Parts: sequence; C-alpha cells; structure tokens
Amino acid sequence: MIILSLKNLTRSFGGLVAVAGVSFDVERGEVVGLIGPNGAGKTTVFNLITGAVRPDDGHIFFNGHSLERLKPHRIVYLGLARTFQTIRLFPKLSVLENVLAGSHCRMKSSFVSSLLRLPAQRREEKTALIEALRELEFVGLADMWPNEAGSLSYGDQRRLEIARALATEPKLIVLDEPAGGMNDQETFELRGLIARIRARDITIILIEHDMSFVMKVCDRLLVMENGALIAQGRPEEIQKNPKVIEAYLGVDD
Amino acid sequence: MKKPGAGRMVQGLQIVGAVLFFGIPLFGVGPYWLGVLNQVGLYAVLALSLNIILGHAGMFHMGHAAFFAVGAYSTAILNTVCGWSILGALPAAGLAAGLFALLVAAPIIHLRGDYLLMVTIGIVEIVRIALVNDIFGLTGGANGIVGIARPVIFGLRITRPHQFFYLIWAFVALTMLLFHWLENSRFGRALNFIREDPVAAEGVGVNSSRYKLMAFCIGAVWAGFTGALYASQMRTISPGSFNFWESVVLFMIVILGGSGNQKGVLLGAFLVMGLPELFRGLLDRFPGLQDARLLFFGAALVLMMIFRPQGLLPPKGRRYRLPPEVAR
Repeated sequence: MIILSLKNLTRSFGGLVAVAGVSFDVERGEVVGLIGPNGAGKTTVFNLITGAVRPDDGHIFFNGHSLERLKPHRIVYLGLARTFQTIRLFPKLSVLENVLAGSHCRMKSSFVSSLLRLPAQRREEKTALIEALRELEFVGLADMWPNEAGSLSYGDQRRLEIARALATEPKLIVLDEPAGGMNDQETFELRGLIARIRARDITIILIEHDMSFVMKVCDRLLVMENGALIAQGRPEEIQKNPKVIEAYLGVDD
Repeated sequence: MKKPGAGRMVQGLQIVGAVLFFGIPLFGVGPYWLGVLNQVGLYAVLALSLNIILGHAGMFHMGHAAFFAVGAYSTAILNTVCGWSILGALPAAGLAAGLFALLVAAPIIHLRGDYLLMVTIGIVEIVRIALVNDIFGLTGGANGIVGIARPVIFGLRITRPHQFFYLIWAFVALTMLLFHWLENSRFGRALNFIREDPVAAEGVGVNSSRYKLMAFCIGAVWAGFTGALYASQMRTISPGSFNFWESVVLFMIVILGGSGNQKGVLLGAFLVMGLPELFRGLLDRFPGLQDARLLFFGAALVLMMIFRPQGLLPPKGRRYRLPPEVAR
C-alpha cells in the first residue's frame, strides 16, 4: 500500500529552482533514504511534505489526504511527524514537556476544562504524562525527564526530537539527518532505534549524509541532485549506479 | 538542592501572608491606603491577564488598556442606558472585550515582535479617540459617562473602600487560581511552545495562530471583567483613563515582575502601582523633591532592566508529579 505519493513537486526560491518536478511513492512500512549532495533540495522536499513550505506546483498525497494546501499542524494531526535538520527543541522547557508538545495534538481537553481543571482534563493530563514517559523510555531518555532540554548532549537532543515526533502518534515519520553530530556509538544505537520505530508499523523517510548508516538502515534510496530525482533503488543498486557516482564524485573531463 | 521542607515552609508563609493581607481592612488602615490597594488589585488582574498574552504566548501587546476600556464602557452603557445591574453587565463586558479582541487581533495575529507592538499601540489609540469622538452617541465624548451604579452582591451594596477591597482582591485570588490551572494545562504549554519556537510548535502539531488568538481573547475577556469593576468603583469613566500610558504601565508590571510568573506579576503590580504612593509620603517631607517622584521610579526601572532583565521573579517552569505507576 502506498502511504505517501509525490507528483511532479516543484518549488523555487527567487531564481533558484530548489525542487524541480520530483515524483516518488513510499510504501507503508518502508525505510526510505533521501540522499544527495549538499544543496540538492532534500530538506526542501521534507519542508514541502510537512507543510513548512508550499509547493509552486505538484501534489502530495498522504494516506488518502491531499497535503499541499494544509498547514503544518494539520499534517501532523493526519499522522505525519518530523524532526528538524538543525535541532529545534524547546531548549528552556523540560525534556518531559518537549515530549508533551508532541502529545498536544492527540489531547482533547478544551480551554474551559483547562481553566476549571475538570476531572476529565486531569485524567487526560495523567494519561499524557504516562505516554510521554513511555516515549522517553523508548528512546532511552526516561531518567532525564525533569532536565532542561537544552542541557542534553547533542545526540540526546536528536533522540528527544524523535521522542517528541513519536508522541504525535505518526504513521509516517520524516527524519532530517538523524545521525548528524552523533558519535559512532550513538549512530550505532540510532540504527537500533530506527528498527524499533519500524517495528511499531511507522514508515520512515530519512535524509542522511553518513553513507554506511544509510546503506545499513534503508530498504530503498532516492537520490537527488540539483532539485531533481536522478536515481532510486535498493542500496546495493544505488552504490553501483554511474549517475549517482558521478553526482557524488564528479566526472573526469 | 533545597531541602524538601523548605518549599513547604515558603508555601506556608505565603498562605499566612495572604490571610494577613485579607485582614488589612480590620487593622484600621485608612480609606486612602485602601484605595491604593484597590488600584493595585485592579492593575494586578489586568497585568495577570496581559501575562497570558505577553508572558506565556510571548506576544508584544502594548494595547491592553483598549480591552479594559471596552469592558468599562460596555458596563457603563448597559447600566446607565439599559438599566442592567453591574453584576449582570460584568459577563457582557467580558464578552464584549473578548469579541472586540477577536475582531482586531485576527488580522494581526501573525505579526511578530516589534510589528505587533506597533499595531497594538495603534489599537489603544483608535479606541481612545473613538471614545473621545462619542462613537454611536453612546460614550459621552471627552466627558465620559457619569452615574454608574454600585455593584450589589446578595443584597449588599458595595460602596466603601474596604468593601471594594474584598470584592477586588477576591477577584484577584479567583483569577490567580483559574489562570494557575490554565497555565498548567495543554493550553498553557501550547502558548509556551509558541513563545519558545513557533516553527517547531507548528511542526509538532500545535495550531499556533489559533492559540495565539485564544490567548488574546482570554486576556481581553479578563480585562473586560476588570473594566466592569473599575467602572462601578469610579462611578464616572472617561477616555483619559484608558490611554496608551496605562498600557505601558501594564506592560511594565509584567516585564518588571517576571513575565510568565503570577507571583512576579503580582509583585510587579505592588511595586509599580504602590511604590510611587509610598514615595509620595516620604518625599512630602522634603519639599522640592516631590516632583522627582517619578524620576526615582524611572531610575529604579532602568537599573532593574540592566541587572535583572528576566524580571524580579522569573518563571520557574511547571512541576510534574509522576503518577505512582511510572514514578522513578
């Protein structure tokens, strides 16, 4: 079953065409890697999918919904969560509250029940706390819950961002350079984490520059260069693809 | 680390302080100082409601007096023209201010920082000038509206300063309780997420424009309620009481006291509204220094902003008690 489908997606900034007619499908349950040289347009594709940037042209279908006119929070509500390339936690708030930010869109307490602290609101708050701690446990940060998010190490902040995204109960999660700034041990642990996310029946798309990581983690790779998709296929196919080698290494004159 | 007993002691002292405070009229405090405390109380409620917008949602809103004015004038008109009682007009005043906020804030809610600041200053000026120009022939122009009734609660007519003291400060206490609950809910958290990083908040599923608008409206509703109390306390209202300067004072109370912290805002209200009155008493002994009253005050503010820009009592962050089944 196709969970995400991009059709001829195009977006330019001023004179620069960042994404030029990109189309691809993602199957439910896949781990897909989006790779390419710097400036290829990978993050723009993510920003288009998550609603942070609107496309000039083209369509995005997710789980039966058309996304291209929706605001980011609506897209999250439909089950598509993200992490950011440059970590965007709420650094002054606690680790626990950062995860509760993700829980927010699944909570229902109204303004009035919050103002009057009605029993239903208190019950929901308690359930949300338990769920948030469960997500922290899942990424291995449960003991850190009362700390300020900004005080965590870089790798832990990356994992906290994943926990926050998981708390939105996504069907699909897009990770923008999840191993960025991680040491070897943390990268190794991240592979295990991605496997466990997948085991929860969550589809994953990730951007990553660490090629050995990408080759080990992904079922399928999409390669971008200059805003266009130049190749896609299984990691071992991509490794041998002459167009990809050319894009990464350049070509002899 | 503080000892676990220390927190409880601080809490105990605060309760004793609050009880003593509510006993003030019994200790023979004169009507003048009760009047000062009543004014502090009204500004405290206004600042607490501004705190939702400025402190929690981080929106630079310097036009809060506009919503206060809408509440006060709604009450005055409903009372003097339609014959409503003050308590009957109070919810209507809140509603009117809230609707007005919805109307004026919806188009500007996406503006950031200094841009929002300028527009909100514009709003308060527009309201004041509209009132001066006797809009709809209802506001009485520059003279305002006179002969507003006193509030009657369970048959008791509130007229004297100590009666108003209890009415106003009970309202302060109620406001603090409700807003405390609101701050510690998904609503309060959502506002903080937006303040910390609007892009990230939207990116994890928080409807930022809706929550910002709601923060504006709830702040305005409360300012409207306060306007109703103010109108019935003064019995006469005029546009001069709702000018830009009042908005600046409220802004100052929140920033000085500690934006996002109720106790800080309350302290700010005492300092900004109460301290100049204390100075007045002191400086009366040194003729010639009387005019310097506001100068001292301004200097104190400047020093504050240099040495403690986060406010006197910066917010501490929410405390969560984990349910026993997951406690660790």
